[in-house]
This record gives sequence, structure tokens and C-alpha cells, in this order.
Amino acid sequence: MKDASLEMNNAWVKYGSYFILIVLIQGLVVNNIEMSMYVNPMIYPVMIMMLPFEFNILLTMLVAFVLGISVDAFSNTFGLNASAAMVIGYLRPTILNIIKPRDGYDPSLLPSIQDMGKLWFLTYASVLLFIHHIWFFIIEILRFDQIGHILLKTIFSLVLSLFLIVIFQYIFYKPSKK
Amino acid sequence: MRNLIQFLKKFRDFLIFFVLQVFVLTLFFNSKNYHRSKMTNTSSNLIGWFVEKKHNINKHFSLSEANEKLLEDNARLRAQLPESFYQLQGDTYYVNDTLKKEQFQYIPATVINSSSTKRNNYFTLNKGTAQGIEIGMGVIADDGVIGIVADVSDHYSIVMTVLTEKSSTNVKLLKNNEYWFLSWDGLDNRFAQINDVKRDIPIEIGDHVVTRGGGTQFPEGIAVGTIDEIIANDGEQTIGLNIKLDVNYNAVYHVYVVKNMMRDEQLNLERRFTGDE
Repeated sequence: MKDASLEMNNAWVKYGSYFILIVLIQGLVVNNIEMSMYVNPMIYPVMIMMLPFEFNILLTMLVAFVLGISVDAFSNTFGLNASAAMVIGYLRPTILNIIKPRDGYDPSLLPSIQDMGKLWFLTYASVLLFIHHIWFFIIEILRFDQIGHILLKTIFSLVLSLFLIVIFQYIFYKPSKK
Repeated sequence: MRNLIQFLKKFRDFLIFFVLQVFVLTLFFNSKNYHRSKMTNTSSNLIGWFVEKKHNINKHFSLSEANEKLLEDNARLRAQLPESFYQLQGDTYYVNDTLKKEQFQYIPATVINSSSTKRNNYFTLNKGTAQGIEIGMGVIADDGVIGIVADVSDHYSIVMTVLTEKSSTNVKLLKNNEYWFLSWDGLDNRFAQINDVKRDIPIEIGDHVVTRGGGTQFPEGIAVGTIDEIIANDGEQTIGLNIKLDVNYNAVYHVYVVKNMMRDEQLNLERRFTGDE
């Protein structure tokens, strides 16, 4: 009993510190990567991606909402990041279900590149990032005559976001068990 | 029965999702008008503190470039001092000018956070209400117009630059005072656009565009850019202009917030004249 509550506290501390770390990296570092009009990389979706497999959908949306609002405060986007983050928070259980391995998920593992392998993780991350980025840029630009611009921006940003997220995982996450 | 509960759960999830989406999207679309933005941004004290710390680390990398710009500006201003003019006439009279009254003052500020490749680009400045900055004031740099103060806290403010969706700066053609609104299509941060220009105005590539003045935000004649391209589509009544902006928004370090001493007077008069129904 005591062990369980200790583990619970550990989880709160762990995810809380990831949250702060990710918001600060996004707000103070990644937001300043301004290479071109076509590249707007985002690392913070990793926070939603890395929640445990069985994490409740309402809590996921809550995390996404708070995360998005915090990133918005740093980026002067007034709710845009919150909106995109909640979309992937809402769709994540469905997508996890679609790309489920044959024998389901092991609840002791996390959806990380170390635990689930490169192929699975890249599929999972690309799908979530694509939904996130295309929603983000459609809402941000909202002009049908610039649909080509929206698509290019989505694709180029996605490549860099994915790269940053993989690097982030290798730096800050360890394999769950060995 | 189980299916029904399952369905109700799904429906509840969607409903919560939908309500939250409506909430944040309302915030986002309202923020496009600067006087309606009601959300935490980089001008708030906490976020501003973080951003300023980041700036204090980063500023060393751009110091030499920023200094060079200041030096150039000093040289230009020095050339306008009375001492740098050769006196042609021996006896000149000193006139205490009562014909002119100071209208604009400039509050210098440093850009501590900026973006220039997003759809809506904002600058965060290290000055706020404590230094006399108010929402709606214009902001300029040495080489041209930057934007309008959108939000302000005690020690920080954010500027909605020309490179935002809803920005519309009053501009005019330097050579014949034709005036329009300047807007930005979001595709390239070196060019802004002027739409709905009448076809019979003599316009050439390379003509200078400056602020019109007359509003309360900018003095007249602040540089904006030069005409780079004339877009004339067949069958349309008007033409569009692509304006090469004078300011390189990727590299703005120091700006001036324009304080119009007669702003309240003008706004009160205009309100009295148009609003009292």
C-alpha cells in the first residue's frame, strides 16, 4: 500500500517535471528556431505522446489543454496550441488502438522509442504530429487559396518536429525495464 | 445496455472536447484584434521574466550587429545637428518657436523576444506601463515601422507587428500622397501587400511608401518600404502592390515606442463628433 502511494507520488513528480521542462524548451528554445516561413517546429506534443497507454481520455485532454495554454503564453498564440494539442489528446486512444501490436500493449511499457521500437514509434509520432500540425496551420492561416502553403508548412515542420522529439526521447527517457 | 453506456461515454468525451475547442478557438479568433486579446502572453510578468532571462543569455550573440546599427543611426542623427551645418549667413536670428509644439516623444526599448516566420508575429519589449507605454501606441525602429502595442504589463509589453493577419497600417505614397492600408498575406516576411489600388494612379516600381500619419499611432513619413511588384490582373478594377519592407524583421534589437502627446485630445474630439448619438 505504501509502495503504491509512493509510486503514485513519483509519477506526479516525474510527469510534472517533464511538463515544465517541455514547456520551457518549447517556449525559450524551439520557438526561436526560425529558419524559414515553411518551418515552425514543435516539440511539446511529445508530452501527450508519452502518457501511459491506458491513460484516461479526459485526463489526456486536460493535460493537453493545460500544456497548450502554457505554450500559448510563451508564443503569443492565444489558444491555438491548446486547440491543436487537444485534438491529438482526444484522438490518441483511437490511434493507439489502430496501430496496436498483435498481442496488445504491455502496461509496464511506455509509448517511447526505446520501449516500442523505432518503426512503431515513428509511425505513432508521425500520425499524431501530422494531425497536430495540419490542424494548427489550417486554423492559423484559414485561407483556402493558401492550401499549398499549409501543406508544405505541415510537411517541413513535421520533419523537424519529429527529429527534435526523437532527440528529446534519447536524452530524457530511459527504457522502462531491462 | 452496455453498448448504450459505452455510447454515452463516447458522447460525453466528445462533448467535453467540443466545448473546450469552442472556448480556445474563441480566444484565438478574438486575439486577432489587439484590443480584444484577453489571454496570458509574453507581456505578463511571469512569462516576461522567463523571456527576459533568455534574452540576457542570447543578447551577447547579436551585440556587435546591434551596435553597428546604433552606430549608423548615431551618424545619421549627428549629421542633422546644428553643429554639423556650415553657417552661410553671419547674422541669423534665434527664434523661440511658438509655431510648433512637440507632438511625439519616443520611449526607447529593447526587443527581448520576437518571431518573424509565424503567421502572426509579435515582439516582446522590456518596457511597460511603468515607463509610460499604453495599448495602442505605435512602435518604430531606426529603419521603419514595426507595429502597435497590443498588450502591456508593468514592465513588459507586446507589439503586434506589421507581420500579422489583422494588421492594417495607414500608409501613403511619398511622391503624391495617395493613401491605402498595408496588410500581410503571411507568405514571405520581406514583403507586405497593398490591395485595391485604383488603376489611374501613376505608380512605378521603386516608389517609396511611408506612414500616412493622421492616426494617433505614427507620425507622418516614417519609412515602410518600396514598391517591388505591381500585380495587375485582367478584368479587375483595381491592382495590388507588393511592398518590399525596409525593416528586416529577423534582426530588430532596439525600437522606439511612439508617444503621441495629443492622442487623447484627438480621440476625444473624434469620439465627440462621431459617437454622441
